[in-house]
Amino acid sequence: MNLSAPRTLALLAALAFSGCAKKEVEAVIDNTQEVQAYYKAHPDFFKFATRADLPKDLAWQDGHDVPEFAAPEAKRGGTLHAYVDDFPRTLRFVGPDTNGTFRPYILDDNALTLIQRQPNTGQYYPALASSWAVSKDGRTMYFRLDPDARYSDGVPVTADDYLFLFFFFRSSYINDPWYNNYYTENFTNITKYDDHTIAVTWKESKPDVYDRLGSLIPEPHHFFKELGADFAQRYQWKMEPTTGPYTVLPEDIHKGSSIDVTHVKGWWAENKPFFRHRFNFDRIHLDVIRDPDKAFEAFKRGDVDMYSLTLPRFWYEKLPDSDPIVQAGYVHKAAFYNEVPRPPYGLYINTSRPLLDNRDIRVGINYATNFQLVIDQYFRGDYQRLQTTADGYALVPFPGIKARPYSVELADASFAKAGFTQRGPDGILVNDKGQRLSFTVTSGYATLKDVLPILKQEALKAGLEFNIEVLDNTTAWKKMQEKQHDIAFMAFSYGFEMYPRYWETFDSANAGKSQTNNICNYADKETDALIAKYDTATSMDEIRSLATQIETRIRDQGPFVPGFAISFYRSGFWRWIGFPKDFNVRMSDTSIQYGLNWIDEDVKKETLAARASGKTYPPSIQVYDQWKHKD
Amino acid sequence: MASLRFRLNPQTQRRLNRFRGIRRGYLSFLVLAALALLSVFGEVLVNSRALVVRYQGRYYFPTYGAFHPGSDFGEGYSYETNYRHLGQRLAKEGSGDWVLMPPVPFNAYENDFRPGVYPPTAPSAAERHYLGTDTTGRDILARLFYGFRIALIFAAFYIGFVYGLGIAVGCAMGFFGGKVDLLGQRLVEIWSNLPFLYIVIIVASLVRPDLTLLVIITGLFSWTGMTYYMRTATYREKARDYVAAAEVLGASTSRIIFRHILPNTLSMLVTFVPFTLAAAISSLTALDFLGFGLPVPTPSWGELLHQGTANLDAPWIVSSVFVSIVLVLSLVTFVGEAIREAFDPKRFTTYE
Repeated sequence: MNLSAPRTLALLAALAFSGCAKKEVEAVIDNTQEVQAYYKAHPDFFKFATRADLPKDLAWQDGHDVPEFAAPEAKRGGTLHAYVDDFPRTLRFVGPDTNGTFRPYILDDNALTLIQRQPNTGQYYPALASSWAVSKDGRTMYFRLDPDARYSDGVPVTADDYLFLFFFFRSSYINDPWYNNYYTENFTNITKYDDHTIAVTWKESKPDVYDRLGSLIPEPHHFFKELGADFAQRYQWKMEPTTGPYTVLPEDIHKGSSIDVTHVKGWWAENKPFFRHRFNFDRIHLDVIRDPDKAFEAFKRGDVDMYSLTLPRFWYEKLPDSDPIVQAGYVHKAAFYNEVPRPPYGLYINTSRPLLDNRDIRVGINYATNFQLVIDQYFRGDYQRLQTTADGYALVPFPGIKARPYSVELADASFAKAGFTQRGPDGILVNDKGQRLSFTVTSGYATLKDVLPILKQEALKAGLEFNIEVLDNTTAWKKMQEKQHDIAFMAFSYGFEMYPRYWETFDSANAGKSQTNNICNYADKETDALIAKYDTATSMDEIRSLATQIETRIRDQGPFVPGFAISFYRSGFWRWIGFPKDFNVRMSDTSIQYGLNWIDEDVKKETLAARASGKTYPPSIQVYDQWKHKD
Repeated sequence: MASLRFRLNPQTQRRLNRFRGIRRGYLSFLVLAALALLSVFGEVLVNSRALVVRYQGRYYFPTYGAFHPGSDFGEGYSYETNYRHLGQRLAKEGSGDWVLMPPVPFNAYENDFRPGVYPPTAPSAAERHYLGTDTTGRDILARLFYGFRIALIFAAFYIGFVYGLGIAVGCAMGFFGGKVDLLGQRLVEIWSNLPFLYIVIIVASLVRPDLTLLVIITGLFSWTGMTYYMRTATYREKARDYVAAAEVLGASTSRIIFRHILPNTLSMLVTFVPFTLAAAISSLTALDFLGFGLPVPTPSWGELLHQGTANLDAPWIVSSVFVSIVLVLSLVTFVGEAIREAFDPKRFTTYE
């Protein structure tokens, strides 16, 4: 999905303790006046026109020729039992602590945008907008909203909600600088023609204007009437009315133990093309299970319906093809090769730290980090070496840029340039001042914590010491965002955009500040200049060329050690979970994304009875490689 | 050496003799002591560094001291020599040079990866992984061994900390009594109701705990138990005639406490030590198991136990660590029981 959200971190979530906010009597606020005044104060941005003002020569599109991608045989109903590794810290979409593992259920994979990309073909289909058009200069898009569109509380979606979203995201009340900046810097106008017709303008012409403008999500003004300085507390556990299929009911929030998302009754898009036969579960019950192995045991017992087997340990060792429940056909295994930007797992070096501010040391660390060994031996060669900070963009490949290989000699040479020529008695390099080449590597990935000791042992050969610090997810992410780390082992998860973003992660505007995604604290004038050009580039050729220059420069400066990339996901699921015959769509990230699968309660009963009686079914182990890159 | 000045008092001597007489406990003590002694010289037994290298007519003893880069032995690299490979190479060259490796030729940290073989690998005498390898190819015996050593070091500091604090506070409450006792008791009660595990979890999620920090955290929540015993013991001793006599003779408070009361409570304290040791080892293991213990990749029993339970398909991990824990804790308990029995005052107290 194309979200106007920043790169979201794949891990993250929350401590159960956080929900105990003080109960205070909340003053009633009605911000209608304030909002109207804001519109008046920005007359160039918020325009009010009539239908007659609409340009006449617009070529309206409605996506009628785009193929649907859901399976008509899908069954509606039932409860999917799944788990989250931590209880969400809030139900808000913006503001502090919103970047968690629960968010996809209520926002990323749920909320509807104006138009959406068909995840197999890349064409656009109507969502909240029933038709759309682009202006001649390619900066403005016109949308006719679907008059049927309703929020989960039954209120119709109108043009006013799109005006309000700019008030909302630009407001200092939400305490979220990324949104403030994004919605202030990039959009130049929104015009309301009537209750169901709007136009939005981007600051310049862009090849992916459809993504940028079509991905706006309306904000329900009637719900945010009480938006004020206490937004973060006031809306902490209130589920915003959604246009998407699932919502959270207050009675389903069991803090610290479980949370359910429930299908909206009479969801407005239920029978619309592109939405029918999708989002089939009536309810998704999410238990909080903090330990992945414990969650796996729950899955094997049948308490959890699906489990990610992407990690080789799970696919080969914990649930091998020979496992009795696989051989009995109760649990099916599937591997699906997808085509999405790869989460860049790797080491993010904090370039503002002493010693790490030296380019030669960073380059040395690149040579001293043996991700290839981890891939070959720990990941059994299933994964690939990541080569750049942005692998996997089909339209922006970097064929000439390769990650530095592991080499003790080259690492030694590079460290020597930085003055580290002598090895101490423990084999760690020291310089004239007696400083040791020793850094802390921080991570929040409990499932990947075995990777770091391997890197440590290999780095030791190059005279480099990694001290490993594996923290709680949330704490680790906080530390990285506050730039308190030496080196971070992590990855961002990307939305499916046409080309990578660099400003967030590598521009000096985001260095030296907390709560930004420039985890490397990377500040380089030359890169800044390239990013400035890149962000105003208008053609794909220009974007490709500038992206290549940026990647080359970043590689040269060495703030990022590319780790590994995963070109598939694997899943185990009980046989009562149904999937389309192609399993999922090309641009999917997880097996339940896009809501194409379903649950068959009859099969569930039958299977549980069969398990009790010892009856078996033919095993099913499928590899879907229709989107795999063939070398 | 001059003649041993220090003389055990006859009563203690008698107790020790009695302890020696309790066979199970005494044997357990000997085995534990031997294990502890072995672990002190662990580098000689379980190590990736060779014991002796004969290279070009010279002898090297790399076990202790600074590392030898591979270039010292004609290997083409600047990092620490891989002595296992060096040994094979020298044997092949047949120039009379050789390498003598320790019985277990791996350290607790190195990943012994072999092409085409994915860890964990089952126990194999041929590979000299006598208890197999863990999920990242590290030798389990080496990790068990050094994990034991670290647990012992932890226990030693822990006991020192807990007893130091517990004795001081308990003794003060018992000796001074009155308001000190009243207030002290209340503080101890409040303190002992703090949820220990939550605090450890919070601290461990904020900082990377090391051995010192772990000793302090666990110790801070364990000393209160000792104060109760110390307090009553001190009360009892204080009321005895010899204390009154010392007081009359003008002995200072500190002299009374350190010269008279403390030595007389010693026998009680000794009986607690083995049980505190067992508590220390099990709490360290529990914390490591939960992931709140020593930093990765420190060898630890808890971490192994966690790996083992997460990989029941590799039974050698969980079984070796399980057996070790049961064995050591049983030995400690046997010793504890024997000491308790040997020091039991009922044996020679006669009621008048």
